[in-house]
Amino acid sequence: MTNLADLLEAPGASLECDDDFDAVNALMRDRGWSDGLPIVPPTARRVENMLAWCDRPWNEPVAKVAPRWGEATPLRLAANAVMAGCRPEYFPVLVAAIEAMCEEPFNLYGVQATTHLCAPLVIVNGPVAQELAINSGHNAFGPGWQANATIGRAIRLALVNIGGAIPTLGDMSTFGAPSKYSYLAAENEAASPWEPLHVERGLPKEASAVTVIGAECPHNVNDHESITAEGILTTIAGTMLSTGANDVYYESQPLVVMGPEHAKTVAGGGYSKAAAKRFLQEHAHLPLGRFSNENIERRVRVTWKEKYAAAGMDAPVYMVQRPEDILIAVIGGAGKHSAVIWTFGATRAVTRALKLRDGRYARSVADFRIK
Amino acid sequence: MCELRKRGLVTAVIVSEPFLKLGKTQARVLGVPDLPLLLIPHPLGGLSLEQVEGRAAHAIPQVLELIRGLSK
Repeated sequence: MTNLADLLEAPGASLECDDDFDAVNALMRDRGWSDGLPIVPPTARRVENMLAWCDRPWNEPVAKVAPRWGEATPLRLAANAVMAGCRPEYFPVLVAAIEAMCEEPFNLYGVQATTHLCAPLVIVNGPVAQELAINSGHNAFGPGWQANATIGRAIRLALVNIGGAIPTLGDMSTFGAPSKYSYLAAENEAASPWEPLHVERGLPKEASAVTVIGAECPHNVNDHESITAEGILTTIAGTMLSTGANDVYYESQPLVVMGPEHAKTVAGGGYSKAAAKRFLQEHAHLPLGRFSNENIERRVRVTWKEKYAAAGMDAPVYMVQRPEDILIAVIGGAGKHSAVIWTFGATRAVTRALKLRDGRYARSVADFRIK
Repeated sequence: MCELRKRGLVTAVIVSEPFLKLGKTQARVLGVPDLPLLLIPHPLGGLSLEQVEGRAAHAIPQVLELIRGLSK
């Protein structure tokens, strides 16, 4: 695509350091180019191996990353991917995820700089998820899988090193969250009774895609007793009740992650995804009187003026405004659990297909390899 | 704000103390490092009306000083 040696001639594009793991890590730490964990030294050879899986010019920005509005070139992204421990074939997923979160509706500036504890969550769909062994089953949001751990970590390093999400300078989160280290999983399409997330969002099944959500950490929904769709959905709707979630005050898109066992029960009761969303939206509400007086007067009555300006204390306040705004994905292994994932609120989910430079959907990450 | 400043209007951003560094960094990356940042006490959320007026009282002299300084 481009000659790496030439690109590294540009001012600031490279620096020299002793060929020593500890020395490289000390340098990175001192410059703030780290998430606090040791990094893999981004040598020219490793970066070039990463870039071999990129079909675009290596110095042409794919996005500008807020809040610093740094240019995310493949070269810079590759350095961060190496540092995070990514295998080179993961690189196309990283590029697509960064592009998706830099689209305007996602509001990356807000997600990065807010005092809220959100982080971009990436859900991967399509054949590429299996090809790269991205975990969608047991412990999908947890440790143990190189793809989940390192692609998610590369995103964070890029958000810090290119986007400037440095605590107190560009990341004002009151306390952050463990999901800011890494937050990526695949949908368990094989165990889902419904169409996958990317298909629901308008892409063909054979496409591979990333969906980014400005999200909180998962909040568990334990239901070992319900054996009906309505039973499971009632428990999930009950777990969605909150007077402190950002989502309540915005037209937001929270994610409901259904474990495969819960999803099977819900679908077995005749519920499509759309019907499940309707049930959840209709049942997840609290009476106005459950909110603090100050929030009633200064938030609810103001934000949703038409509905609540003169409403009584029994008036239902819906956690989500529209059924279609609830996202559903089936993720996880065996077990009678689901999870509710709230969001930053002032953000919209963005889905982006892995596409080649000529616009075709990639059938495999190998399609991105430079011939 | 940065765009208004670039067009030559009298412009300032009001920030509370913990957000000063973010404000300075943003002004720099958006190309107006000299964007005036007017400092008021933190926090901004959960204030009574009187406290909001107190924050305004903090900001107003700084706004006046900014305008006077530019008109000299």
